[in-house]
Amino acid sequence: MLMRFEMLKLSRSGRPVVAAVSLALFLVLMLVGFYTYAQNETGGQVDFRYTFENRSYFNGLTFAIYAFYFGVAMLLPVFAAIEGGSQIAAETAAGTIHTLLARPLSRPKIFLTKLAVAVIFLALAVGFFLLIALLIGLLAVGWGDLNLYPGVLQMTSRPQHLTQSEALVAFAMAWPAATITLLAPLTLSFLVSTWVRNPVNAVGVSVSVYLVLYVIAEVHFFRDLRPFLFTSYGSYWRGLFRSDVYWPGVLQDACKLLAFSMFFLALAYRRFSRREET
Amino acid sequence: MNHAILEVDGAVRRFGKRIALAGVSLNLDSRKILALVGPNGSGKTTLLKILAGFLKPTSGCVRVFGMDPFAFRARVMVDARFAFAPPAWYPQLTARETLTFLVGIGNGAVDRTDRARISHVLDSVGLLERADDRVRVFSFGMRQRLALAQAILPTPKLLVLDEPTDGLDPLAILELRAVLRRLRDEHGVAILLSSHLMTEVEHLVDTMAVLHEGSLIFNGPPTELLRDGQCLRLALDGTTDVVARTIALMREEGVVVAHQENGYVTMPVGSITLAHAGKLADRCGAVLKEFHEQRPTLEAALLDRLRTARERPPSSSGSTTPSRTDEC
Repeated sequence: MLMRFEMLKLSRSGRPVVAAVSLALFLVLMLVGFYTYAQNETGGQVDFRYTFENRSYFNGLTFAIYAFYFGVAMLLPVFAAIEGGSQIAAETAAGTIHTLLARPLSRPKIFLTKLAVAVIFLALAVGFFLLIALLIGLLAVGWGDLNLYPGVLQMTSRPQHLTQSEALVAFAMAWPAATITLLAPLTLSFLVSTWVRNPVNAVGVSVSVYLVLYVIAEVHFFRDLRPFLFTSYGSYWRGLFRSDVYWPGVLQDACKLLAFSMFFLALAYRRFSRREET
Repeated sequence: MNHAILEVDGAVRRFGKRIALAGVSLNLDSRKILALVGPNGSGKTTLLKILAGFLKPTSGCVRVFGMDPFAFRARVMVDARFAFAPPAWYPQLTARETLTFLVGIGNGAVDRTDRARISHVLDSVGLLERADDRVRVFSFGMRQRLALAQAILPTPKLLVLDEPTDGLDPLAILELRAVLRRLRDEHGVAILLSSHLMTEVEHLVDTMAVLHEGSLIFNGPPTELLRDGQCLRLALDGTTDVVARTIALMREEGVVVAHQENGYVTMPVGSITLAHAGKLADRCGAVLKEFHEQRPTLEAALLDRLRTARERPPSSSGSTTPSRTDEC
């Protein structure tokens, strides 16, 4: 019953619509970026509209993987933080936490239900983003084999070639993998939301912490800190886009991310179960 | 073992250096209505939140149905309903959805009987026609009515209402009074309400507890507070000397004169009979023009109490520095 209650609240909150529109808009902007990139760089001298390279390299799947890369690294963590932060802090700010706690509901039940709703929302947002990215890629450019080359984005350390069907399987696996990546910012935000009494603060703090840790994980100077930062493992899903997936590495990174998430959740639960409602 | 529905024994609550509750003790049994009264910041809401298990007392013992409400909040809430002010609702849900889910959360499911009861309760608080409107369009008064509806659905053993008349029109206040009386008399519900409306308290409650700066300065039936505020008022006519002589004579006779000004004398009820006062006035050459018992309104009696409490030195108003103990 509580789960249905939370799902109804979420569906009526407008957050799913805002998230869907924002994610779709982001993908459209990405497409425009790809479209104008070649024009700008070559002064409009290329036949192919989207990048320097020819159609044998770039297709709808390449667009989808790059869009997904940016989405998982930059946009979806914000939505993960919004969802995590708005679960408990929003109830506290609105005073509705009193309404819930004034019913025979245990704190663990409230906590777990809210977490489940946030995780479901996150998984759906990631799936939606991936699906729309693939769909836009298909409609605007068309699919084909997926070729990846080493570059500044470090998508791969050596050239990869996946057939279209292999690539689609990799995309299907990337969905839960990226969801695991984004669980960390979500649970971090959940933790912050048990401390602060305003959802805006919870989201702001979580996003700030995520961005700082993301930058630290990317800067060579802080390389010794990388094993201790969840942002260091956030791109592990890229390992699925190899012709020979190195599963031990992928699973190890997924487990590390889950361990970070569990750690944040344990702290959040400890705080929520003991806190007073002033 | 029989417990009072609600037992508070020496409850202290501190927020940093500030003492919000300074050793409050009170009980509430079934079939009783207790009003918690006091100025803003006197500790009413803090006490209600402690009873709801939202806050822990710094020291002292609080039991609801014989249980520590902070440790066993979910179990306490099986038979207790709380409605805090201001009422907080989910604006995106309708009144009916809100009640359906709140009932379902307690029961695990909502059956046809529950749905019929929800409609009945919505009707009884005057919200049936707006039952399928989202709460976001509700006025404050309508939200307050919804708070009352959820508080009596299903009928609890303990009902705690924080400022239940806020935002209600006079007719709704009358209806609320009738509902609360019915709950007490027909269902044996113990009701605790905090209120600023003294007319409400006077007509409805069995006991009132007055809080001032965290201390309980009165705990008893409203009639007792009124009785304490009653006094005998005499008016003496005559020259200043004559009046002064009459008052002096009364004092010699053992009468406690509380106040005197311009020939008007006040004293505790029963201090002197009309015949005796007349005789003493006559003996001194004064004329007894008025002799009547002055009955204050409950509000005046309460204000008088609060004024007295304010004038008392801090040590006697309970603002000591309590330490944490386990008194339960």
